[in-house]
Amino acid sequence: MSSRKVIELFFDVVSPYSWLAFEVMCRYRKVWNIELRLRPTFLGGVMQGSGNKPPGLVPNKFLYMGKDLNRLSEYFNVPLKPPADVPEAMFKKGSLNAMRFVTAVQEMEKSGDERVERVSRELWRRIWYEDRDITEPLSLSEAAMKAGLSDSEIKKALELCNSQEVKEKLKSATEEALDYGAFGFPLVVCHLNGKPELFFGSDRFELLAHCIGEKWLGPLPDKSTAKL
Amino acid sequence: MTSKKVIELFYDVVSPYSWLGFEVMCRYRTVWNIELKLRPTFLGGVMQGSGNKPPGLVPNKFLYMTKDLNRLSEYFNVPLRSPSDPFEAMFQKGSLNAMRFVTAVQEKGKGGDEQVERVSRELWRRIWYEDKDITEPASLSEAGIKAGLSDSEIKELLELSNSKEIKNKLKSSTQNALDYGAFGFPLVVCHLNGKPEMFFGSDRFELMAHCIGEKWLGPLPDKPAAKL
Repeated sequence: MSSRKVIELFFDVVSPYSWLAFEVMCRYRKVWNIELRLRPTFLGGVMQGSGNKPPGLVPNKFLYMGKDLNRLSEYFNVPLKPPADVPEAMFKKGSLNAMRFVTAVQEMEKSGDERVERVSRELWRRIWYEDRDITEPLSLSEAAMKAGLSDSEIKKALELCNSQEVKEKLKSATEEALDYGAFGFPLVVCHLNGKPELFFGSDRFELLAHCIGEKWLGPLPDKSTAKL
Repeated sequence: MTSKKVIELFYDVVSPYSWLGFEVMCRYRTVWNIELKLRPTFLGGVMQGSGNKPPGLVPNKFLYMTKDLNRLSEYFNVPLRSPSDPFEAMFQKGSLNAMRFVTAVQEKGKGGDEQVERVSRELWRRIWYEDKDITEPASLSEAGIKAGLSDSEIKELLELSNSKEIKNKLKSSTQNALDYGAFGFPLVVCHLNGKPEMFFGSDRFELMAHCIGEKWLGPLPDKPAAKL
């Protein structure tokens, strides 16, 4: 069996399109011959570093994105529901603590990304389905509990959150994304023959499959015959 | 046979992603049960009216788009090649004359949308493959000739291009697009049960197919088995 293609997924739980890409890539881990590496990163840092602005700041784009996310939520089977106050949730409160927390969880993993996956999913659910806070320690605790972490693991992750080590780790993931040429998330980086191939957004899967020599079966590969 | 679904395609030949969307929709006219209405419009007016800025102004986005267009050119089989000075071609010289010319072809040409399709394609080829001008009357003439227009037709259409009628027609298309909520091109508007469903970009075809009850066979529907 040929060696697995390494695919990195840079994401931030503040980003709804990242949730779509995240779920698709997690589903395809068993379908494609890939090694998926989750890269929790800070979108705010990428925006700043690339001189980009969040798309929602253009009124017509914001309105379009609302409808687009509704349709995609149904098509991808990911329960997306915008928070009541999107600018407050995304821009004022943001995701720095949340992504430091996910980074801390990743540091604590002994192997694999299972906890990172579950915690990230619970955080997305909080902000992008339940319209709840993701900035306070209590919020991060609740998400981690739902993800199956023990009380002591949660306590440790919260402490690690504020450590120099984790802050640096998140900064350096952000720097790496920028070095690849990121300007937003989700960013998928496929490593083909030693070269990184970038795919921005959650609407390049068909092309991605073509580039890595796999077959795109739609967002629900388990039900491929039903969908396509 | 159920009545055809009306689909409007708002585009501007200055936009490379619009060329991709245009070729796909033209190919699917014989595959899907649709009535495709070409809507030549002025992207500069839409950007201004929506307060948006061209994506290429963010350096990392510009670099990404260049690579992205290369891949898409191959995957979609559309011969896209960046002009040697994209900023000059797209932003300084622009497409106002070109889109007035296409509008004149649509309003007064005797060849219907078939002629609009051919003229638009030749203009895209000029700017997005041959790195040639699309602003001067001689340039528009050459494109018209390649599209099968006669010398006298071209002369008439060039005059009409500068008429109040054509200028207003283009302005009103642009306003139409903005009324739908446009912020960029390509913009596909599917009319379903009397309601307009918008799809921005050339990466929403799979979702569009799902929404209109058709099947997406990839960008080359004549060769579905080889592609998917």
